[in-house]
Amino acid sequence: MENTHSAPAVVPVNTVSCIPLGSKMSKAKKVIEEAREINNPELDLFDKGISTFEEMPGLLNMLNITRITLSHNKIKDVPPGLANLTNLEILNLANNHIEELPLSLSSLPKLRILNLSMNRLNGLPRGFGAFPVLEVLDLTYNNLNENSLPGNFFMIETLRALYLSDNDFEYLPPDIKNLKNLQILALRENDLIELPKEIGELSRLRELHVQGNRLTILPPEIGNLDMASNKSVFKFEGNDWVTPIRDQLQLGIGHLMDYLKSETYRVLYNRFSTNKPKIPNSCIDKSKKVSRIR
Amino acid sequence: MPIFKDESPPIPTVGEVADSFLLKRRSQTKEQILSSTYHRYDSYDNVALDNIDENSVPKFIPKNNLTRLTNMSRDNMICSKCGEGFEPQEKIVNSTGQLWHQQCFVCAQCFREFRDGVFYEFDGRKYCEHDFQVLFAPCCNKCGEFIIGRVIKAMNASWHPNCFRCEMCSEELADTGFIKNGGRALCHECNAKVKARGLGKYICHKCHAMIDDQPLKFRGEVYHPYHFNCTTCGVELDSNAREVRNRSGFAKNDMNELYCLRCHDKMGVPICGACRRPIEERVVTALGKHWHVEHFACAKCEKPFFGHRHYEKKGLAYCETHYHQLFGNLCFVCNQVINGDVFTALNKAWCVHHFACSICDQKMNQKTKFYECDLKPACKKCYEKFPTEFRRRLRRQHEASHKKATTPVPS
Repeated sequence: MENTHSAPAVVPVNTVSCIPLGSKMSKAKKVIEEAREINNPELDLFDKGISTFEEMPGLLNMLNITRITLSHNKIKDVPPGLANLTNLEILNLANNHIEELPLSLSSLPKLRILNLSMNRLNGLPRGFGAFPVLEVLDLTYNNLNENSLPGNFFMIETLRALYLSDNDFEYLPPDIKNLKNLQILALRENDLIELPKEIGELSRLRELHVQGNRLTILPPEIGNLDMASNKSVFKFEGNDWVTPIRDQLQLGIGHLMDYLKSETYRVLYNRFSTNKPKIPNSCIDKSKKVSRIR
Repeated sequence: MPIFKDESPPIPTVGEVADSFLLKRRSQTKEQILSSTYHRYDSYDNVALDNIDENSVPKFIPKNNLTRLTNMSRDNMICSKCGEGFEPQEKIVNSTGQLWHQQCFVCAQCFREFRDGVFYEFDGRKYCEHDFQVLFAPCCNKCGEFIIGRVIKAMNASWHPNCFRCEMCSEELADTGFIKNGGRALCHECNAKVKARGLGKYICHKCHAMIDDQPLKFRGEVYHPYHFNCTTCGVELDSNAREVRNRSGFAKNDMNELYCLRCHDKMGVPICGACRRPIEERVVTALGKHWHVEHFACAKCEKPFFGHRHYEKKGLAYCETHYHQLFGNLCFVCNQVINGDVFTALNKAWCVHHFACSICDQKMNQKTKFYECDLKPACKKCYEKFPTEFRRRLRRQHEASHKKATTPVPS
C-alpha cells in the first residue's frame, strides 16, 4: 500500500489493480502489450527490475514468442509453464538470481540458445540433457561442479558451445566425448585438477578455455585436436604447468601440439600418471562471488 | 451302462463333379477332336454313291465325281436317319455311302441344311461348322478363336501353332519344343538366359554359353571377352578391355570399338584424379585435374557436386555447407551460411542480423564498443552490470594476456 501511495500520479485510475504497480513493473507490462499488439515474436525485458514472472501476466500464453531476453533482473524462480512457449528459440536469463530451474525447461522443442550466466545455480534439474536442438548453453558464473550435472547432461548432441567458466569443477566427466558437435568449450577459472583424455575425441573443437585452473599436465590425446590452426584458440594461462609443457607454451601452441603427440611426452605422461605431480592449491578466492549470496 | 449309438442320418454320397455325364462327354470329345471327320459333300442333284476317304480330311468332292446310282432299286433304299423309303421323284442325298432324305440331311444341332455343303461328323452325328465349333472345337488360349487343324496342347491349354510362342522373345515354339520355367513357356535360349541371370551370370551373345568369368560389354550386349581382339594390336581381349566410342557425339553404340587396356591407355583418354581410371563419359575439369562426374566430390562429406557450386581451398574442393563449416563463415547465432556482410570478431562470424551483445541480445554494429568474456561480446552497458568482483578478474586477465602478447618471443 505504501508503494501505491508513493507514485499515485503515474497510475491512471482505471488500471489500478491489487498488485502494487511501480514504474519498472509497468514498463515490463508495456513491452509485453506492445509486442502482443504488433505480433512481435521477440521480447526485450532486460534490466526491468523484474523479480518474478507474475509481474509479466499473459507472457506464458504468447505462444508465438521466439526470443525472450530477461537479463539483468532479479528473477529467483523460473515457472514450469515457461515450457508452454514451444516456439522459443532463444532464452536469455543472464544476471538474475536463479537458484533452481524447472524440470520442464529441457522439453522446449525449438530452444537453440540458453543463457543462464551470472546466476546462483547450485545444480541442474534431472533430465536437463533432454534438449532436442540446443546449440549454445551458457552456464558461466554459477556454483556448479561435476556432481551437480544430471546423468544425461552430455546427451545434448546438438551442442556447439558449452560455457562452464567461473564454476567449481575439479574434474570434467569423460562423457564430454559424446558432445560430438562441440566447437567451443570454456572452463576458465574452475578448480580443474586434470582434463579427461576424452577431450581429444572432440574433433570439431576450435576454442578451448582452461585459464585459471589447477592443471599441471595435459593428456597426450589433446594433441589430436586442431588447436594450432589460425582458426582455433587455446587459452591456457594461470595454470601450474609442468616445466616441459610450460617451455613448449613459451614457443607457441603449434610446438605444444607437436610435443603432446611425441613419444617423449608419452613416456613423460605415463610417468606422471603413476607419480602425479603435486596438486596446486586453488589460486582464486571465490568466496566473494555474487553467485554465493544466500 | 448306456451305449452311444450313432443315429445321425447317413450322408448321401455325391459323385465328383468330374463324374458328371456332360463333363465326361466333353472331355472325351476333346480328345477325339483331332480324329473326328470333316466332310464336304455334294448332292441335291441326285443320288450319288461315293465313299469319301475318311482319312483325308478335308476333302472336297467335285460334283462330277459323283456316280449316279443306277444299279440299286429305289425300293430297297431307306433314309439313314428316319428309316423311311424315298418317293420316286424325290431327291436323295448320298454321303459316305449312306442315303438321306434331303430334309433329314441337316445339322444334328440346329436342323438346318449345311451351308456350302460342309459338315462335321462326330459320334455318328453330323453338325454344321458353327455348331461343331461351339460344341467340340478347342479354343486357343492366346487369341480365343477356335482351332481347326493342328492343335498344340501345352501348358494345360490349347493353342494355334502360331499362337504358341516363347514368352520372352516371341519365337514360335510349335516345332522347336519348349521349356516350362516358372509357369512360363520359354524357348531353349531364353531359358538359358533366365537360368544364368538366376546365378548372377550372363549368356554370351555370340556363343550362347554361360559366361563364368567376367563378361565383356560391347555395343550393348555381353560376351566372352575371348571372342574379340584389340582393334590396335590384335591381342585376344580379357575383361579389362575398354569399349571406346569412336565418334564423339554419335549416340548409337554400333560404331564402338574394343581395345586392350594397354592400347587404350596410350590413346590419350583423360584419367580421373580420384580413381585413376580413364574417363569415357562426361569429364569435369577442376583443380587442374580431370574427374569422373561422380568422383568430383566434397573433400569433407564426399558427396559429388554434380554441377553444384564448389569451393576450393588448398587444392581441395568442398560443398557450400562444409566449406563454411570448416572455414568459418557460419553465423554463431543462427548457424547458417552467411550471405552478404560478415562480422568477424572473437574467432567467430555473425550475419548482419545476429551480431549482438551476448547478454542483452541488442544489435551491435562496426562502431559499437564491446567487451570480451570467453570470446563472447558484451556491450558496455551490460559489462558495467557484471558483478564487480568478476569484472576485476576479467580486467586482470586481460592485462596479463596483453602483457604477454607484447613480450618478444625468444627465438
